[in-house]
Amino acid sequence: MNTSDKSERFLSQGDEPEHNPEEAAIRMWLRVFVTIRWITILGIISATLVASRIFDIQFPIAAAFGTCGFVALCNLALLFQARRIEKMPASQVVRKARTVGTIHLLLDLLAFIVLLHFTGGIENPFVFYFVLHIIGASIMLHYRVVYMLAISKIVAVMLLVGLEYSEVIPHVNLAGFAPPTLYQQESYILAVLVVLATALFATAYMATSVQGELRKRQREVVRLTQRLLKKRTGELKQASREVAKLEEARDRFLRFLGVTVHDLKAPLTAIQSYFWVMLGGFAGEITEKQRNMLERSSQRIKELLTLVSDLLDIPRIDTGQITQEMKDVSLSQLVKASIADLSEQAKQKKVKLKAEIPQGLPKIHGAGPRLQQAITNLIGNAINYTPEGVVTIRVKEGDKAIEVEVIDTGIGIPPDDLPHVFDDFFRASNVEVKGTGLGLSITKRIVETHGGRIRAESPCPETNKGSRFSFTLPKKR
Amino acid sequence: MEKRAKILLVDDDADFVEATRLVLESQRYEVIVASDGDEGLRKAREENPDLILLDVIMPVKDGFTAAEQLKKDPHLSQIPTLMLTGFAAKGTKTSIPVSRGFALEAEDYIDKPVTPEELLARVEKHLKKAGS
Repeated sequence: MNTSDKSERFLSQGDEPEHNPEEAAIRMWLRVFVTIRWITILGIISATLVASRIFDIQFPIAAAFGTCGFVALCNLALLFQARRIEKMPASQVVRKARTVGTIHLLLDLLAFIVLLHFTGGIENPFVFYFVLHIIGASIMLHYRVVYMLAISKIVAVMLLVGLEYSEVIPHVNLAGFAPPTLYQQESYILAVLVVLATALFATAYMATSVQGELRKRQREVVRLTQRLLKKRTGELKQASREVAKLEEARDRFLRFLGVTVHDLKAPLTAIQSYFWVMLGGFAGEITEKQRNMLERSSQRIKELLTLVSDLLDIPRIDTGQITQEMKDVSLSQLVKASIADLSEQAKQKKVKLKAEIPQGLPKIHGAGPRLQQAITNLIGNAINYTPEGVVTIRVKEGDKAIEVEVIDTGIGIPPDDLPHVFDDFFRASNVEVKGTGLGLSITKRIVETHGGRIRAESPCPETNKGSRFSFTLPKKR
Repeated sequence: MEKRAKILLVDDDADFVEATRLVLESQRYEVIVASDGDEGLRKAREENPDLILLDVIMPVKDGFTAAEQLKKDPHLSQIPTLMLTGFAAKGTKTSIPVSRGFALEAEDYIDKPVTPEELLARVEKHLKKAGS
């Protein structure tokens, strides 16, 4: 596994316990340690066999194999420990792995010295393999421990060589490889010990400084990542606080609008009622002039009431109240009701209403009165903006949605105005009929609250005149 | 024509009440007025009207609560009740959807403001239905 893989794994928030680069490296190194040991054991065994069989060098093979057996047992233990460390919480990994590593390096040292004793002591160039050991230790352990280890190795070798030199313990000569008196030759002993000591310390110095630099980088990566994460979390929190604030402000405004508009409607209702009472002659006779003025006043109040009703609808839709009104409704019934409501108006304007509604349409989940309001609005507009002609209302069933189309043969919508017809308070430039400019924006809100989409086209692509308004409503799942 | 029907009008807007009363009395209906839900319920029990016009948004007791209580009362539940409504409850976050008027089994709902012709037509229709 290369470094970039590891850092990616670290950055991705997976299910496994995540390790920083240092922890991941030390876990990997424990596994490498185990493997190298197996290879070393195999190496010693084959070297022993080659030395005794092929070169006829004589030394106690049993002792060599015995030492290998001991190291093999240690290695099995390490394998087990390494597996346990892998399952540990990330924070404990480095400390635990270092303790285990130190113990095993000391066990190796012991086995090594014993093996060295039985394979010729100072005569055996195998002693320089200690350098590899120091490199291994540098990768895993604190530099002070590495130096301690290097010192203990030199002390152990010196002790072995010294004891053999002074005949306290017997010397095993590698007959056929080294002269039998070599272990008594002071200049040779001194040279080997000096080379070994300098090699071990130089290796320890180089390997620990390289490893120290690497570890510093690994920690830097962790710090940077954490700082980045912290910054991003902060930004996210800030953003969500701002969104909450905006939503609160919007809700407050919608409530304010709702209450204000409601308070406007009550007096307007009273005024309109009085006008109608007077116009109807319920409060006595009125002159023709008075009637004319009352009719105009009543008309103006009606405009205001329409605006107020429209304004009242917006907070109701935008605060999601209409979703509470939703139940199973028959769209074809709603369309038929809208057509019935508007038939008188259409007749007066000499506009023909044509309905194309298929049988057996499935019900949809929706707020019936609201949907009818949307449909009535579209048909009403079509009638208003068609001086003479036909308004077609078509309902179509698709795979996932039901589509309602209202097609007229009227004045159409100028291309510049078309993208804005659903905007609040927008009035097309070619329109003379009075209105609030809220009808289509409310219709769009109603359709979208139902999960549908609305579209305006002019001229209608089918007839190449007038305009077509169509909206979809998702079918019940 | 014999004795005309008695109509209970419950609404807190004095001007709307005045205008509506003029319209109803023009057809010789007897009009009783109450200005909140509690008074409406009391007068309904005392006067036993033939029809009730009940505003939705009122102080003390709103029209829906009053209508619910009317419909639970075995002596009053047969009286046709027409809700006068059309907009959101004041100062609260919830609107009163049109559909609730029907869910309550009010006989009809009338959007305010209503033209005299429309009001008289609805009143007549429900009185005739109840009488037959």
